[in-house]
Amino acid sequence: MRRFIVPFALLALLVAASGNAESNKKPQIADIGGQVRGREARVNFTLQNAFNPEMVEALKSGIEISFKTEVRVERVHRKFFFNTVMAERTFSRSVRYDAISRVYRLNKGGKEEHLPDINAAISGMTRYELSLPLFIDVERGKKYRALVKTRLDRVGLSEPLRSFLLFSSYWDVETGWAKGDLVAP
Amino acid sequence: MSIPAPKARGMLTDSERAKRRRERLAIGIVAILVVGLTLLEANLTALGGSVVFGGNIIIFALINLNIVLIVLLIFLVTRNVFKVILDRKRNILGAKIRSRLVLIFIGFSLAPTILLFVAAANITTTSIKSWIGGRVGVALTGALEMARGRLEWEAGQLSGVAEEAAASMPRKVSGAKAGKILARIRKGHPEGTTLILADRKGVVASSGSAPAGVAEEILSRLKGMSFSERSEKSTTLVGDVFASAVQKLPDGRVVIAVKTLPKADSQKIREIAKAYDEYQQVRLLDDPIRASYIAVLILITLLIVFAASWMGIHLAKQITVPVQMLAEGTEKVAGGDLDVRLDYRSDDEFGHLVSSFNRMTGDLKEMKRHLEEANLSLSSTFEELRRRTQFIETILTNISTGVVVIDRHNRVAMINKVAERMLGIDAEGVIGKPYKDVIREEHFEAIRALTREGEAGRQVERQIDLPLGARKVSLRVSVTVLHDVAGEYMGLVVAFDDLSQAMRLQKVLAWREVARRIAHEIRNPLTPIQLSTERMEKKYGAVHEGDPAFAECTQTILSEVATLKHLVEEFTRFARMPAPVFKEGNLTEELRSVVDASRAAHPGIAWEFDAKDIPSAWFDPFQIRRAVSNLLENAAAALGGNKGTVKVACVHEPVLGRVRITVADDGPGIPAVDRDRLFEPYFSRKEGGTGLGLAIVSAIASDHGGTARVRDNLPTGAIFEMEFPIEPRGRG
Repeated sequence: MRRFIVPFALLALLVAASGNAESNKKPQIADIGGQVRGREARVNFTLQNAFNPEMVEALKSGIEISFKTEVRVERVHRKFFFNTVMAERTFSRSVRYDAISRVYRLNKGGKEEHLPDINAAISGMTRYELSLPLFIDVERGKKYRALVKTRLDRVGLSEPLRSFLLFSSYWDVETGWAKGDLVAP
Repeated sequence: MSIPAPKARGMLTDSERAKRRRERLAIGIVAILVVGLTLLEANLTALGGSVVFGGNIIIFALINLNIVLIVLLIFLVTRNVFKVILDRKRNILGAKIRSRLVLIFIGFSLAPTILLFVAAANITTTSIKSWIGGRVGVALTGALEMARGRLEWEAGQLSGVAEEAAASMPRKVSGAKAGKILARIRKGHPEGTTLILADRKGVVASSGSAPAGVAEEILSRLKGMSFSERSEKSTTLVGDVFASAVQKLPDGRVVIAVKTLPKADSQKIREIAKAYDEYQQVRLLDDPIRASYIAVLILITLLIVFAASWMGIHLAKQITVPVQMLAEGTEKVAGGDLDVRLDYRSDDEFGHLVSSFNRMTGDLKEMKRHLEEANLSLSSTFEELRRRTQFIETILTNISTGVVVIDRHNRVAMINKVAERMLGIDAEGVIGKPYKDVIREEHFEAIRALTREGEAGRQVERQIDLPLGARKVSLRVSVTVLHDVAGEYMGLVVAFDDLSQAMRLQKVLAWREVARRIAHEIRNPLTPIQLSTERMEKKYGAVHEGDPAFAECTQTILSEVATLKHLVEEFTRFARMPAPVFKEGNLTEELRSVVDASRAAHPGIAWEFDAKDIPSAWFDPFQIRRAVSNLLENAAAALGGNKGTVKVACVHEPVLGRVRITVADDGPGIPAVDRDRLFEPYFSRKEGGTGLGLAIVSAIASDHGGTARVRDNLPTGAIFEMEFPIEPRGRG
């Protein structure tokens, strides 16, 4: 009898933990769109459910939040294994509240914006309009699509936070690959 | 047999021992892994920037492994604790002391550990609370407000400069001209002030040394302002390196007065801001931090408790295993098993104890073996002694010699039945009494005289006559002095031989000779007397016919001659009794047939016959039948021929190799005065008896190498005994 108790208890803990995780809304990439022209692709999308109350509170408290986004542009063939990767790039975007100047400093790949409130800061972190150089020319009439994936970059977090947030599911922000068609005019 | 080191209850096999070793190894590895992995996880989180999400998976895996290992450790320790409890419930030897020791170890480790945990948790919680919610927060907020206040003050000071510059700035002025205006105004103000004229596109003109980035930030922040903020005519903006005042011009352009802080000041403000940020972060993580510290403390506490418990179990086993083995071994030894050997090796005191126990059982076994051998030898000796004693007792009981042993203190050490009979004493309770109290008063002087001579060291042998009731007994007494091997006087052996029988035999022999001569002398003239008388009767019968005296006389002569002839015949038979012809035969059957004949002849008498386990004997059947027949006739005559009981018995004495035939009647018995002469020829109290019957019995017994005697049959009657060897002399 005793030999079943320990595995059963572990299983129960796992089920409870997974149930707790399921109850939260998962972050996801939505509204992927854009166009390809010449040697450039412009992709826009929205990151949804990325900021939960815990993160908003943390942001207000001066914690820097950083997302890393991977964007890939493909030319789509009938057979998916023939798809051609035309562009691939990783973008970083971070936001931090500056208690001295009382603005949210949104960093978009080295370019800083100063936002007066939290909503603007969240909006700046979740709405993307990116430009990617393509490896090959766009052909008219062909099908193209963008694949996007985002995750919270814990590297930017301060040390104690990094350790503790490791165990919190609220900070487990990572989307799967989301796909969206691009217009090739 | 060997007792291996037992498990919580019973004995440990090799496989169980290997299992225990594996278990201990597993517990050790688990403990090391838990500590190692915990340290690794702690280091991994401290690696900073190199940690990516992939690393987190490893960390989670490590944490999970950690938990599993802790659970495993808990399981193993709990299993052992349960085992101890179960062993105690099952009353397995040593379980009680083991459970007590485990309880003590756990108790001693648990109490301080829990105390330490509670104290540490309390201190941690209090410290975190006091740090987060206490003065630190107030101080940091105050410092931040002060820094910002200073910047705001600086910005406030710059508002006048910005207003002045705005007022001095004409509409649609070129950049160069605007620069000159700004430079002129700046000269009237403290050094470090920078004036900037900017429109929507950017900086139009500036005067001062403010870094370009500052102007860009200010413009950027102006763009990001809300509508209400943007509609204000003037505003101030501060940063960690600057303070600025912005004055809007009617044409949409702005004049900005900026003052950059000294490097040291801006550095301090940055540090204050950083500390404030960190404080805010920590405040946000108040609960997780506390929980994590408590979790670490719990982990350490659990590790200590379970490690201590396991150590307790291990130490308890170290102590109780040899104790348990010793208890079991002692129980086996107490049960008589001295082959028990304890299989426990250690160089500690328990090892010595077990080794001593094994040595002790070995010695005990050896001693037991010696004891058993000695006991066997003693038993054999005792048996031999008993057999010899029995043999001597039997001899002493059955020999015709009376023996009395007197010890060095003149006390009776031994007396046999014959001596009792001869001296007329009862041996019951006489052993150990002074012999002068035992021997009859009338015998004392005679015997005392002999023992004195014996005590003087002389071998004494003498014939004495002792009165025994109404008769006198003629005894040959020999006194032998006993000395031990050291020559010490031990006592006397007094032997009495009844000479009456020998004398009687001598008399019988004499009587036989007399009878032979009388028969010879009488028989010769009897025939002529008879013939002459018959001739006289024949020749002169007719002459003296009518004379009754003649006929009476001749008849008397003939009758007496016939009587004399019969007498002579008896005499001859007695005198010429033939030597016995020994044959091996069934004595019991011979006796039974004689008894049956007597039963038929005297049916009024109750005849009893008892003869058991009589071996085949060598005897002359004719003579034995005659002797026994004489005894039975005597008994029947004593009973008057028609009433009473006659018991005939035959007993075999294997030690002496003799048979004894007894004929007991409950008649009037034999007067004491007649007993000495009873077996003499021609002694008879019977009317018409020849007095040869018992003399013949005595002669037959004597011819068979035995004796015949008589004694009283209490309460009434007489017992005649005839005994002889079952094998004639010269055989066996």
